[in-house]
This record gives sequence, C-alpha cells and structure tokens, in this order.
Amino acid sequence: MTVGRVLLYAALIAIAAIYIYPFLIQVVTSFKTDPDAASNAASLLPQTWTTAAYQKLFLTSDFPLWFKNSAIVTIFVTVGRVFFDSLAGYALARLHFRGRGAIFAGLVAVMSVPLVVLLIPKFLVINTLGIYDSYTGMILPLLVDAAGVFIMKNFFESIPVSVEEQARIDGAGTFRVFWSVVLPMATPALITIVILSFQGSWNELSHFIISTQSPQLTTLTKGVASLASGQLSQGTQYPLKLAAAAVMTIPVAVMFFIFQRRIMNSSEGAVKE
Amino acid sequence: MQRRTRWLASGALAVTTALALSACGSGFSSGSSTSGSLTSSNKALTVMIGSSGDAETAAVKSAVASWSKSSGTGAKVIAANNLDQQLAQGFAAKKPADVFYLSTGSLAGYASNGSLLAYGDQLKNKSDFYPSLVKNFTYDGKLYCAPKDFSTLQLIVNNDDWRAAGLTAADYPKTWDQLDAVAKKLGTGGRTGLVVSGQYERLGAFMVQAGGNLMNDSSTKATADSSANVKALDFAKKMLNDGAMKFAADVGAGWGGEAFGKNLGAMTIEGNWISGAMQSDYPNVKYTVVPLPEGAAGKGTLQFTNCWGIAADSPNQKAALDLVQKLTSKDDQLAFAKAFGVMPSIRSAASEWKKLYPQFTPFLDAASYAKGVPTVKGASDVIADLDSKLGQLGSSDPTTILDATQKNLEALLK
Amino acid sequence: MTTTTVMTKPRRAGFGGIRRGEAASGWLFTAPVLIILGVFLVIPVIMALWVSFSDWGGRGSPFSSDVHFVGLRNYSTILDGGGLAESDFGTALKNNVWYVIFVVPLQTALALALALLVNRTLLRGRGFFRTAYYFPSVTSSVAITVLWLFLFSTTGTVNQVLAWMGIKGPNWFNEPSGLIQNGLAVVGIHDGPAFLTRNSFLGVSFWDWLRGPSVAMFAFIVMAVFTTSGTFMLLFIAALQNLSPDIDEAAMMDGAGAWKRFWRVTLPQLRPTLFTVLTLGLIGCWQVFDQIYTGTQGNPAKTTLTPAYLSYQSAFQNQAWGQGAAIAFILFVIIVLFTLLQRWVLREKKVSRRRQLAYSPETAARAESKRAAQATGGGSR
Repeated sequence: MTVGRVLLYAALIAIAAIYIYPFLIQVVTSFKTDPDAASNAASLLPQTWTTAAYQKLFLTSDFPLWFKNSAIVTIFVTVGRVFFDSLAGYALARLHFRGRGAIFAGLVAVMSVPLVVLLIPKFLVINTLGIYDSYTGMILPLLVDAAGVFIMKNFFESIPVSVEEQARIDGAGTFRVFWSVVLPMATPALITIVILSFQGSWNELSHFIISTQSPQLTTLTKGVASLASGQLSQGTQYPLKLAAAAVMTIPVAVMFFIFQRRIMNSSEGAVKE
Repeated sequence: MQRRTRWLASGALAVTTALALSACGSGFSSGSSTSGSLTSSNKALTVMIGSSGDAETAAVKSAVASWSKSSGTGAKVIAANNLDQQLAQGFAAKKPADVFYLSTGSLAGYASNGSLLAYGDQLKNKSDFYPSLVKNFTYDGKLYCAPKDFSTLQLIVNNDDWRAAGLTAADYPKTWDQLDAVAKKLGTGGRTGLVVSGQYERLGAFMVQAGGNLMNDSSTKATADSSANVKALDFAKKMLNDGAMKFAADVGAGWGGEAFGKNLGAMTIEGNWISGAMQSDYPNVKYTVVPLPEGAAGKGTLQFTNCWGIAADSPNQKAALDLVQKLTSKDDQLAFAKAFGVMPSIRSAASEWKKLYPQFTPFLDAASYAKGVPTVKGASDVIADLDSKLGQLGSSDPTTILDATQKNLEALLK
Repeated sequence: MTTTTVMTKPRRAGFGGIRRGEAASGWLFTAPVLIILGVFLVIPVIMALWVSFSDWGGRGSPFSSDVHFVGLRNYSTILDGGGLAESDFGTALKNNVWYVIFVVPLQTALALALALLVNRTLLRGRGFFRTAYYFPSVTSSVAITVLWLFLFSTTGTVNQVLAWMGIKGPNWFNEPSGLIQNGLAVVGIHDGPAFLTRNSFLGVSFWDWLRGPSVAMFAFIVMAVFTTSGTFMLLFIAALQNLSPDIDEAAMMDGAGAWKRFWRVTLPQLRPTLFTVLTLGLIGCWQVFDQIYTGTQGNPAKTTLTPAYLSYQSAFQNQAWGQGAAIAFILFVIIVLFTLLQRWVLREKKVSRRRQLAYSPETAARAESKRAAQATGGGSR
C-alpha cells in the first residue's frame, strides 16, 4: 500500500465517521436521561441506560397514532403512484392518440411548479372539495406525481415492443396487455417508484400541515415537528425528541437497505440517459 | 407540429380549469351568517384550545364535559398543535371551531374580517370582568368575547440564592437602582443575577413603570418612541452591559423560567404560569414572587390574556354562549386556576383565589395597574419584529429600535 | 377524430386495426394523472394567482362577491410598501440568497469530491462508503432538523467537540449575528460606511444585506450540505462511470499530473452533470420550509426567515392571504427562472431534439423527485 492509498482510506473513513456519527448520537442519546443528554452530548455511552423516552413515546403520547397515520398514507400513496404512474407512463410511451404531445408538454410544465408555492391554494382547493381534514384530503393530492410518470414512460420506451405486439395479435385488449404483459417486465422501474413514493410520502410535511387539523390525523412528520418546536411540551427533553426522530427514520432506513443496490443504480441510469 | 402541441396544451389547460372552477362554484355559495340573533341548532360544539400541557387540556375537557352533560349538547375539545394556523384554516373553510381560545393579538384580524361573533353584550357577568381585560377585547367599540383568564408579570426570586448573597426580605427591590444592585450581588460565576426572555413581553414591564408602553390603552395611538420607553430600554441595556442581566437565549435557555429553574439566573421576570413549570420541571427550587420595582411612573407591569372566541359561522351560537358563560363562572375559573395556574378574569373570584394562593398575590394585585399589549390589527407582527431586535439590545441603540417600531405601528393605524 | 388515423399512422404495417381503441385507452390511462394534477396543481396555481390580486381576508371563499380585485396592491406592499411587510420580505430574501450562495457551491464541491474519492476502481469497501455518504439523504427533513437542534444546542455535541479543541462554540440556533459581520468585527469594523447603512433595498439596508448568513442559518447550511451531498454524489458517480477512460489515459501518457488531468480532462466532460447539479441545487434551495417550520420559525431575529416560510406565516398565521400568495408567486418566478436557465443550459448540448426532450426532463424528474422525496436541505416535500 502506498502512502497515497493510506491517505485516501484515512480520508474516506474520516468522512464516513462524520456522516455516521450524528445518527449514532441520535440513537444513543435517546437512551440517555435528560441531564445526561444535556451535559454529555458528544458521548456515545450513556451514564445510565434508560428507555424512559421510548416508554413515554409509546405509552403516554400520541406517537403510535402518528405512526399509524403515516403508515396508512404511505401505503395508499405508494400503491396509487405505482399503478397510476405506470398506467399513464405506458400510455405516453406506447399508445398513439391525439393529445399525447399536449399531455406530455403539460406534465413538463407541471413539474417545474415549486411545491411550497402551492401551500395556500392547495388548502383552498382541498377545502372547496370538502375533503379538508380527512384521509382523502391527505392521500388524494399525493396519489400521482409527474416525475414518476416520466420514469415509467422512459422505461417503457426502453423495452422492445415485440412482446406486446404478439399479445395484441393474439387479441388481448390494451389494458390486458399493459397489466399482464408489460407491467411484469417493468419491475425495476416499479421498484424505483416504490422507493421514491415511500420516501416522499413518509417524509412529507407541508401537505399535511395544510390538509388536516384534527389530532386524530396527525402524521409523524407533523407530530414530531410540533414536539420539536416545543408546542406540546416544556423544557428541552432531547432524549424524547431524538427517540421520536430515530423511530421515524427506521422505515425509510429499512427501505433504503433493502433496495440499496437499486437506489444506487437508479440514479446512475438517470444520467446515462 | 410544435406550435400545435403548445396550443393544445394551453387549450386543454383552460378547459380543465374552467370545468373545475365551475364545478367548485357550487360549493362556494353556502348561506350567509345571520345577523342580530344567535344561531341555534342541535349540532355538537367543537372547542379548540391552545394548551400549555396535559393539565390544561384535561381541565378544559372535564369542564366542557360537565357542561355537555347538563345541557344535553354534545361538545368535543381539540387541543391544537398550532392554534393560529388551525383557526385560520377553519375560518377560511367556513367550518371553524365553535368556541376557541383567542389571543389579544389575533382579535382585530378576525373581528375585522367578520369571523367573530361579538357576543360581549349578551354576557350576564359582563360587569364582573376586570375593566382592563374588557378593554383588551373591545374592537370598534364592541366587546367581542369574554376574557378567559389573565396573567401578569412579576419578579421571581430564588430563595436560596437570595439568602446566600446575604439578602433579606427587606432587600426586595423597590426601585430600578435597587434591582440593578441586587442583581449584581446575586450574580456569581456561572449564574447571572437576572435572566429574562429578551422580548417586549418582558422588557415592556419596564416601559410601563417608566410611564410608557407601545400604544395607548385603547390601541389607537402609537407611543413606541416616547421618552419613557427609551428610558426603560436604556436601563435594560445598561443592566445587560453590566452583566447584571442576561437574556435567556444567551445563557442557553428557552425562556426565563427554564433559566431560573436551572439556576442560570437568580431572578427572572415571568408571569403566574411559572408556577406550573416550576412544580413539574424544577420541584426543588424554592422561590418567592415579589412585585416588580417601581419606575418613574410608579408601579407597572404587563398583562396577558386570552378570551373565549365564538365563530360567526358557528351553527349553534346559543349553546356556545351558554358554554362560555359557564367556563367564565367563578367555579370553573377557580378550577382552571388550580389545574394550570391562571388567574380568574372576574373580580368576584379574586378573594378566593388569593386565599388559595397567598404566595402569588402580587400577580393578582397587578390587575389594577397592569397594561395590556397592543391589539391593533397587525400588532403581533410589529411586536415580533421588535422582539427580534430586542434580542440584540445590548449592542444596539434603543432609540433606533423604538423609532422603527413607532413607524411600523403608525403604519397599522392608517 | 378523423385526423387521429393520420397522426397516429402506425410505423409498422399490419397494426391499423389493432390500434383503433388506442385513443380512448390513451385518455383513460392518463385520466387519473391529469385529473389529480389538474385539480391539485393547476387549479391551485390559478387560485393563488387570484388571491394574490385580491383583498380576500381568509374567511369563506376567495371567489365570493365581497372579495375584490385590488390590482398589484399586495405586490406593491411587499416590494415597495415601506412597512414591515416589505422589510420582512427583504429580510427573507436576503437570508435565502445567502443560503443559496453558501449551500450550492459547497454541496456541489463536496458531492464531486466524494464521487471522485469513491469512484476508484481498486477501492475496497466502495459500497460501504457510498452507503454512508448517501444515508443522510433518505431521512426526513423533520427528523434531521430535530437531530440538528440537539447537535447545535448550547451544550450540544458540536460545542462539546469544539470545547475539546479549546474553542467556545456559539449558541448556534440563538445567534443572529452574521458570519461576515463577525469576521469584520474581528478586524475591528463594527459599523458600515454611511452609504451602506443609509441606503436600502426592500427595506433592508445594504449593510444588512452584506452581513452574511447568521450563525443560526449557518447551522442550516451545514445541514443542507450534509443531507444533499449524497444525492448529488450519486449523479457525479454515474457521470464519472460514463466517461471514456481513453482521454484520461492519453493525458496521462502526456505526463499530465492528477490535478491537471482533473481540471483539463475530467471536469470539462462532467459539464452537463455539473450544470444539472448546480441548477437543481439552485431550485431546491429556494424552497426551504420544513426545517424552518420544525426548527426556528424564522428566529433568531428573523435571520432564518425564508420567503417560503414567510408566505406560509403571512397567510396562515397573520391572515394576510393576499400578501402570502404574492410572496409565493414572486418565489415561483424566481424558481421558474432557474428552471428555464437549467433547460437553456442543457439545450446547448448537441443532441437531437427528440433525444434531448427525453433526456432533460427525465434527469431532472428523477433527481428532482429524489431530492424532493428525501426532503433534503432544499426540497420541501
């Protein structure tokens, strides 16, 4: 090993440590007592291990409810996006119909609308439709995304037409061809959609702020944000907050590790064009 | 081809929009609110509160439940995560909570856009409320809502620190100079004599003592740049620069009570809500509540209050008024006082409250001389802006800060 | 309908009959996407545009008869009102400009550096390092903000680590002083020259514009760089793997050193990716909302106020719905300008129209939705 390589590894490991350390601190601190967290913030070993934060979180707070709401929304949004995005992506890639170009152009335009700009008006629309403060209002607006349609469209364009044509000649209808022939071939792209929608809806905050008000519909992001800004509690209570943050990270982390290879490759694909 | 596509895109957009808008239109034209008499229906009430914690939520819930039982009208209490935002969404949706906490700062905004029912004159116990509180919730000459309770600021002193510095009850500061002197005595090592939150809602007490305040009592005239206010901030600045006083944020505390509880400061200026926080978070700290020192204009402090708002769009205002009447009754207010440390908004409950809490009488005594915060529409923004500048009072010029505030307040009155 | 057959003339012979139902299917398949995006994206934009030109006070429908068209009043209050609304907007804009100035170059440089480090063919543990650097990108902005509030608290991890090095750390999230201001204070400059303090833009004096991001904002800047560098690192890795090694080898034969090869050979080839990353960063950085909502609500001293948060605050907290919507639209224009810039820059590439159309939106789509999904420093959802 040359000196250069030693330096390279040292640098890589040092940077990795900086990237991982905060998360270790997060988990460890959640097992500390309040005073311990305040006075030994950099230590990776609690003076006394306590699960008080988790007990409070799961037994005496609304945390389980928040978790449930996030899970419900995430599942519906993910399933919805996988289905609707691929359906539209397929139509744009394969079906020849008048207005296709217009739809495509419209989607490109829609994608450039920054979402924070929509906070106020999205609330007005949700409200007008009478779905404010309901699961419908939380889920429906997130059910499709233009970016997902693009990913699916591009994927469908990359696979050969011959198989579908055979099925069509055999007399299968358009939806049937899509559902039983094309979709099974699209697994890699679908996984990308699953990952993106899962992360997107699990981590979503602003949409839930404007679409709900009742405590029964609070999601993890909204609940933990209110914990953090001290609206629900007094004092600092860092172990409690960090425990909440750690638990809410688990599902996306699990997702990440399951599909790690896929995530890393999907973005490579993106640039390879 | 390209041009055609673009045309199609815009055409489709226009059509979709037109369709959707006309479809939405039907939902917009729902009935206008009744004027004069109260609405009445058998609909259950929603009560939205901005709770300070579990104790407050539980107390309000139990009071509302007992009303619900005796009146036969259903009612549910929602503890809002973010009261302002959720109220705004409710009003915009024309589906507001029927009864809700309303701050002095929000009153003018909601009253001016017609969101609130001005029911003050229909209160049976209207004359029992402290006049200064009634003034706080009067907009355009009308009392809009019943004051829920109130709080005032006083000086909170750590008993052990006080004794350790060789001070006795005779040394409780009566004047600004005395305050400065004891603060210097109490500050040692890691502890500061006086730690307060660096905002108008605390430092404003000095302004009142000097004979000033940001606006006049009815919030119709801006007086932020008065010489009394400058004198007050000059004094605060001097204490900051001497090290006799520090802001809570600068000692790493979220508010004065936290700094006091952790003994980062031997004294603080806080309201009666501090009792609950001390009890739950710092039960071992022994403290005394003493009146704030007098300034050039004698005694002075700030008061804070909320009221029970009733929505103009509530379908059951009659029941809502009935509920508010009960929630502001002596029994209920004393129950709230026990649960979360507030002071009753009615004079008839004063003597009993003092009997229950002799150690907190300075807070209630202030009802006669405390001044409110500005209530003109937009005032909370101006105060937030002032607070953001007061955080750096130690290194800035009080006159500049107050002049800017004066300008901002005057803009609101135009 | 008659033109359908002309427009969709099948490329291969023999499918004319089979394609007949495609028009109906096409619309049917795209209908859910069109309806939902139409209702929750297009209509909201139009509604917001109306609200920004109206005096709607937040009660009932903005389309009811007692709401009036007020022309540019909301916009002029924000841009030229001389009051608090103007200086708040100026402050928010100032904060965000500094945020962009710091975050975009830092995250791009760090992402590129990480990609170059990790992209060695003979590297052991490549997967581990990539995973480690990328992981912060998947966590939610709320969770990461909560963590940051702890790490950067007065007695927090960062200050303890600094204390080991003998440095007394600041009270990060409560410290409103600007970085440049502090730098100048060290060399003894406390007040700006009169022409800077006297003149102002958007209610904020030139001197204040030049203070730099506050210490509190700097903590957010670090957070944004921490959470976004991983995503962009992946984009750079992909681009690096696509480079042909021939040119690099040729340069090596010519005796060019590693540093020179990077600047002369690698970097020019990375231009398209570099532009993508820069513009995505520029777009994302203007949408800072989650962190502010969760963490500081604009404090201390409004130095972490951003236009996105100010828009929310004006509308939902202060009932100034028209102003809130107007701020949102100004923000919209800013972001669209950067988006157009990105499109324009990518258009420079000599690719056929067809391919390019498929290329740029998709790259943008993926990277953007990834960013968004990961709710990183820039993305708000």
